[in-house]
Amino acid sequence: MKNPGRLAWFWWIAALACLGLAVGPRAPLTALMSLHMLVQIPLLVLAGLFAEQAWRAGRPSQDPAPGARPRPAWSYNEYGVPGLLLVSLVGAGWMVPKALDDALTDWRVAAFKYLGLPVCGWVLRASLRRSNVVIKLFFLGNFCWMSAIVGMIYLDQPVRLCNAYLQDDQDWSGRGLIALAIVLPSCWLLAELKPVWRFLNR
Amino acid sequence: MRWILALALALAAGLGSLYGLTGGFTVLTAEAARRQDVARHPRAIPAAEVLAEDGRVLDLGQDLRRDGRVAIVNFFYTRCLSLCLAQGSLTERLQQAIEARGLRDRIRLISISFDARDRAPDLARYAARMGATPGVWQFLSFTRPAQRDAALDLFGITVVPAPLGEFEHNAAFHVVTPDGRLARIFDLDDPGLALSAAESLSAPPTKGAR
Repeated sequence: MKNPGRLAWFWWIAALACLGLAVGPRAPLTALMSLHMLVQIPLLVLAGLFAEQAWRAGRPSQDPAPGARPRPAWSYNEYGVPGLLLVSLVGAGWMVPKALDDALTDWRVAAFKYLGLPVCGWVLRASLRRSNVVIKLFFLGNFCWMSAIVGMIYLDQPVRLCNAYLQDDQDWSGRGLIALAIVLPSCWLLAELKPVWRFLNR
Repeated sequence: MRWILALALALAAGLGSLYGLTGGFTVLTAEAARRQDVARHPRAIPAAEVLAEDGRVLDLGQDLRRDGRVAIVNFFYTRCLSLCLAQGSLTERLQQAIEARGLRDRIRLISISFDARDRAPDLARYAARMGATPGVWQFLSFTRPAQRDAALDLFGITVVPAPLGEFEHNAAFHVVTPDGRLARIFDLDDPGLALSAAESLSAPPTKGAR
């Protein structure tokens, strides 16, 4: 935090690396359903998320003085709820098998994937900044059960759900989604252990 | 109040794109979307040169129009060891039903290979193995890759290369009317529905019927 300029550069590089990794090898990344769903799409979201982080780090004077209780700005994105709702719905959309097939055949869906997902990542980070632990827990919990259930459905289906992908790969995507539903809240808990602990003990 | 407006906008944008993606909350897979779209808007089959099992070279669209019968079409490749065999035995049962019910001058069956390796002798061997009756069940193979891709695209068939020289592909019964249009698509689990749809589409228009 001592050097906001350097920090901003770090996040910009992280954002560009994610974008480059997602867009550069896009043929191999979309060749498998599991890579498409669990690597390329998260990378695009992360690119937007890191970009917001970088943009924020570049303009440091906005934060309230240390010790002051951060007051949510009376804004369009109060407590981040509208933004988190939008991101949740977009997340739900990308769990529909048709979205993955269409991203390969329909340029509008592909355009949304490459442009819209980084924007969603940006909105997600900006919303998380404004929200509190209860709201975060609500949206994270919602996303995780959805991911776990969709993963189990993928794993359980005896027929292919995507015309462009193999059955084996569908099973791997299912396992990946279930893993995501376990890893994501674990990471969140580790990152936010202090506020969660404070909330539980108040 | 601004955030309520933003919340409503987020909800509208999210649900709107889900609505668009799922065809108005009716389909979740590209396969279901293809079937629904064909039922609503029948598609004209493009010109494609095909090879028959007896070695003749035909034009698919022209042949469909000239024959005058409704065709139930499916796609396969002769080296297939899984899905096509199941599809083949279901088609064989359709052939038996067509013959038993005396529908052979109104409905016919066509299996088209998308594998460039399949030539006339491969098709003939496969036809013999399936017990196909000439004149009822015909086997074809595309000769030109560009035309094959255009035809597969129109039917909505996606072929994915799989390990061991196999292909994975979506399989279904495609009902094509004598004017050369793909009119309906039925699941492999519903050969009976495909047959009755073909029967009603092949029925000569009766007076007073609406």
